[in-house]
Amino acid sequence: MTAVRIDGLTVVYKTPLGELPAVRDVSLELPAGSITGIVGESGSGKSTLALSLLNAVQPPGRIAAGSVEIGGLGDIVGLKGERLRQARGAKIGYVFQAAQNSLNPLKTVGKQLLDLGRSHGVADLRALVREARELLGRMGMDGARVLDSYQHELSGGMRQRVGIMLALVLNAHVVVLDEPTTALDMITQATILKIIREIHAERGLTTLVITHDIGVVAEVADRLAVMYGGRLVEQGPTREVLASPRHPYTRGLIRAIPRLTGDIGLAQALPGRPPTLATVPREGCVFRERCPLRMEVCESVDPPSAAYGERLVACHATAMAGATREETA
Amino acid sequence: MTAFLRRLAGHVARGLAMIFVVATISFFIVRNIPGDPMLALYEKLVTSGMDPAAASQAVRVAYGFYPSGSLWEQYVDYMGGLLRLDLGTSVTNPGAPVTGVLAEASKWTVLPVLAGTLLSFLVGVIMGVYAAVRRSGRLGDILAISGSLLHGVPQYVLALLLGAIFGTTLAILPTDGTADILIEPGFTPEYIGTLIEHATLPVLTYALASYGGWILAMKSSVVTVLGDDFILAAELRGMKRSIVFRYIARNAILPLFTILAISMGLLFAGAVFIERIFNYPGLGLMLIESVTNRDYALMGGAFLLITGATIVANIAADLLYTVIDPRVRSGEEAAA
Repeated sequence: MTAVRIDGLTVVYKTPLGELPAVRDVSLELPAGSITGIVGESGSGKSTLALSLLNAVQPPGRIAAGSVEIGGLGDIVGLKGERLRQARGAKIGYVFQAAQNSLNPLKTVGKQLLDLGRSHGVADLRALVREARELLGRMGMDGARVLDSYQHELSGGMRQRVGIMLALVLNAHVVVLDEPTTALDMITQATILKIIREIHAERGLTTLVITHDIGVVAEVADRLAVMYGGRLVEQGPTREVLASPRHPYTRGLIRAIPRLTGDIGLAQALPGRPPTLATVPREGCVFRERCPLRMEVCESVDPPSAAYGERLVACHATAMAGATREETA
Repeated sequence: MTAFLRRLAGHVARGLAMIFVVATISFFIVRNIPGDPMLALYEKLVTSGMDPAAASQAVRVAYGFYPSGSLWEQYVDYMGGLLRLDLGTSVTNPGAPVTGVLAEASKWTVLPVLAGTLLSFLVGVIMGVYAAVRRSGRLGDILAISGSLLHGVPQYVLALLLGAIFGTTLAILPTDGTADILIEPGFTPEYIGTLIEHATLPVLTYALASYGGWILAMKSSVVTVLGDDFILAAELRGMKRSIVFRYIARNAILPLFTILAISMGLLFAGAVFIERIFNYPGLGLMLIESVTNRDYALMGGAFLLITGATIVANIAADLLYTVIDPRVRSGEEAAA
């Protein structure tokens, strides 16, 4: 069963150079009960994609084409005003990067929880507070004390758990986590990832994790999608993609990870720089400037996503290699 | 609560120290201003043929006061009086204690200044929010430009303009004094009406002169808060618009309280121009007259009052902060 179906999604930002796409023709399915990870460098469009799931792309950006079907809600791109507001928080939870201060500094967590409850017409606020306390306790914190605290009295890891609590307390079944562990130390990061996995399984959530850290995805995600220059270049089961990456960009990313053991020189940085909104090629493959397998066709033809078993890869070279393999077989 | 009291005690101690310093400085500065009215009178009497001892006695009678002893002895006397809240006797108003003169003048300054400041604060803050929210539209442009313009016009120019327009050209508002002298003072509708009428232009001047500043300050504060992550977070959690608006407003208005407190103290300085122009017998006009007449005791008293007002306003702002900003509050607890 598919809980979220993103289809042909294009998000553009208005710039002095005209409207430039940050996300272009992205299609992605999030199976119910799965954790999907999206990895990509800064500026690859992954946060814009995450915001699209709540139809919350901030101006000067806008969703120019495509749809985001969410089970029980319909196409969220078509939702407006009150109906959109009610869907946010209640149906789709959003967890911010821990470094961002996602709480009002002048109110205690508990008061903001009550604001949240009132915003969504929760009749039994006592039960909501109980639920919040339980969730916080579940994440290893003293719920009563945290609800009585202001943001500045909480550490980064604690804030992040509060963010997760606020995303789940209204029983949202789709949860989007945008860089959930960035700016946290390794131990807190591990704790948060463990919590995400446990609560995900416990509540049967459909989860999307956005990160630039392949390690995070390897840790939690069932499925992995790789984003580059606003395009999804490869997606498939995490284990498969990490074990045998098919897109040259995925291969480059994995090669760039330094290992705990062995020579540091074994980690090879990807040559070149990721494109910006203005420098993303308008036609042809977005990755060709940094690609070791660049061919003539890459200049002019956008590689379509082709299926290889459970894998989808958008690369001419991969397609050709696959074809040759099939011919020789 | 004890933390609050400790904070208050610290403020009061610092405030008293500041008052002591200001009293000392103003005592010596005032007495070093060239020109001495009593000496002038004394010399006039002597040159007109009066016996020096008799002349001195006459001056003492005329002013009910005569400085004696060295400057240091006068200083000790003055400070001793200050402890008993006795600021001496005014020379220009023979026999009247300075405290009484100050109290009489204060009522004509404090009320208009407070009314003008609060009016412009309220209107300016609300308009500032609109200017921020509509900053890319025409309304935002108009508000921001009018704010900048008003902010740039000096108070006294504004006072003259308003006086010329409403007092002379349109002739609908009085520009002189506090009340119509033909109306019997008392708690009557006529008298209250004439008081309000006479106060309108000074209050309007105070209000318009600071209004531009409030718009600009609030606009930039709101724009900053709008860019804060927790506002987007609140929207993504599906918070009601009214709640999100409250989050924005409360966070944006915080820094303005400090400006409000500081401007309260400074506005008494502005009263010097405005009361002069509208011939309004408040502290500003009194200060001008006391300087012209070299009325040392009154001058010193006026300086002390202005200092005191500024200090009290700052203490009030700081204590208010501990109530409205939890970050300041817990910083205090941590230090305690």
